[in-house]
Amino acid sequence: MTSFLAVIFGLAMIYASSSGRIEAYIRALAVQGIVLFAAVLLDLGRLTPLSALFLCVETLVFKAILIPWFLIYTVRRNGIMREDEPYISNFYSLVITTIIFVASLGVSFAAFGSEAHGIIRPVYFGVSIAAMLTGLFMIITRKKIITHVMGYVMMENGIFLLAFSFAGEMPFAVNIGVLMDLFIAIFLLGLFVSRINETFDEVEVEALADLKD
Amino acid sequence: MYLIILLCAGPLFALAALFSRSAKAAALTAGAYAAAHALLCALVYFNGGVVSGYFEADAVNRVFLLILSAVFAGVSVYNYDFSVKSKFDSHKLANYTAVLLLFVSAMTAVLLSSNLGLMWVFIEATTLAGAFLIYFNGTKHALEAVWKYIFICSIGIAFAFAGIIFLSASQPGEEKTLMISAIHAHAGELDKLWLKIAFVLMIVGFGTKAGLAPVHAWLPDAHSEAPSPVSAMLSATLLNSAMLAIIRVYGIMEHAGMEKFASQFLMLMGILSVFVAAVYIMRVGNYKRLLAYSSIENMGIIAAGVSLGQAAMPAVLLQAGGHSLAKAAFFLTSGNILRRYGVKEISGVTGILKKDPVTGRLWIMAFVMISAMPPSPLFFSELAILGRMFASGMWVQAAIIMILLTVIIYGMASVVFKMAFGEPGANAVDERFSMMRYIPQAVFLTALVFGGFLLLAGGLWKVKI
Repeated sequence: MTSFLAVIFGLAMIYASSSGRIEAYIRALAVQGIVLFAAVLLDLGRLTPLSALFLCVETLVFKAILIPWFLIYTVRRNGIMREDEPYISNFYSLVITTIIFVASLGVSFAAFGSEAHGIIRPVYFGVSIAAMLTGLFMIITRKKIITHVMGYVMMENGIFLLAFSFAGEMPFAVNIGVLMDLFIAIFLLGLFVSRINETFDEVEVEALADLKD
Repeated sequence: MYLIILLCAGPLFALAALFSRSAKAAALTAGAYAAAHALLCALVYFNGGVVSGYFEADAVNRVFLLILSAVFAGVSVYNYDFSVKSKFDSHKLANYTAVLLLFVSAMTAVLLSSNLGLMWVFIEATTLAGAFLIYFNGTKHALEAVWKYIFICSIGIAFAFAGIIFLSASQPGEEKTLMISAIHAHAGELDKLWLKIAFVLMIVGFGTKAGLAPVHAWLPDAHSEAPSPVSAMLSATLLNSAMLAIIRVYGIMEHAGMEKFASQFLMLMGILSVFVAAVYIMRVGNYKRLLAYSSIENMGIIAAGVSLGQAAMPAVLLQAGGHSLAKAAFFLTSGNILRRYGVKEISGVTGILKKDPVTGRLWIMAFVMISAMPPSPLFFSELAILGRMFASGMWVQAAIIMILLTVIIYGMASVVFKMAFGEPGANAVDERFSMMRYIPQAVFLTALVFGGFLLLAGGLWKVKI
């Protein structure tokens, strides 16, 4: 079952990194949120009730609904449709993301596939590393700043899965703080996307290259 | 007890500032918080304090707390005149003041955190509050600067969070902890490979916030586009808060017996920062950016000092404190220059000494202090750090840093003196400034001079080498 979830998560990731339509990315992020929620449900047995509740809310409400909804709102409000000319064409993005995905899983299984590392689940670990790298890859190769925000959300999904792939939990106060910080960060980034759109009439990073030495 | 009051006071004062009706009332609220902050910090400094599991005042963060409090006290005085004379309406200034107070309370919480996870939460909170402050002027350039700041810092901090996860993965058994003292106690049992990965991720992450090269890209933009009181706070207090996180992470490596790896990595980033600062200081065309690069240089020296281990800690604290006071004075004075000349370009400013003698003198004095000429306390701290590097056989590294520092002093001196001397241009306005635009800098610089003489007279610095 975990492998099935990992495959869906990975497919959403590859789809997002190789598609040109902004709303398609956002749907992929929502799918990832739902997959993370399913992963939490599968693990309910080992969680304390409080953190189980917290993780369900975090994945379902925040990652699968609120953040994608807010991104869609920002995109529609600013009339952003497509990633027109990425620095790397969509086909090569597809190839590179697939390589990242396969390599991350391969390395993870090679390192932790044996039972010696009982605490680490190789599927989750590999997929989480792949998601973090793909998020970074999207930030580097895309021009629209809204896509950068999505790359950041993808990275955060990867980090969530990374924390989840290890046994052990953070203190509850820290968990709440982390979630609040991330949510406000994405919210602020969205606001600034709108502000940049109004100020510069375009939402590409190249508009933001005036300050330099 | 004092510690709890200190942590709770910030948000309450911020709330009061939010509902203030005039710029004056908002600025006075900031001043009241600064006074309360100073008093409570002094009490915490002498009495200590613990909130079990989350916050604790120890030997290192007490010093950082005092620096934060002193700088904020000075900035709040300057900020009064800045707010009252601002062209923005009272509603915007009330918001600005409220966020400024939240920013300071988040930094206070970062400094006092005894739990790495909590420290992370508050460092990210400083990023979010700082974004609003940097965007204060609402210009195109401010928008560009704030985008870079919030995006680069958030990515950096995300790396640090991955590092924290790896750190908890390196702990054997089911019981994981992020309490710094608990990690120290069991540091010997940590898994070496996981710990190395965790260290690199955390140093890169927190280093982004501290302005260490090569992940410093946001820093010059944010410092130059923010209003001057905010620039002073960013440079003199925010960078220190992130540096404390680096000191904590390095401490874990020391306890785990892996200080060799950690030292090499941190020393490399330190030297690289000084190098980047030297390259850009020679070609920069904007005086606020010049000061920002000087902050990168000082953070580099502090990182190099941290990499020398516990023995160099007094020198590191002295460097951090000296840099904060001198740089806060420098940035506040740059705010006077910006108000008088209306430009940030070095080429647009000449003859400050003639136009505004007090600002001109403060400008030169701040340069003397930041360039570590005696009696600046930075002279003694840099001497101690470099001396320790020589003593431990790092001749090449120490020589590189010394050469780069010479380049930096030359680059800064040529700009500072060019701006201070000569005939003032036609763009300079004849406004008479309130004393509040001079007193904080004068107090900071006088304190530094006295501190330097005390160090010299007491022979304190000899002990450290």
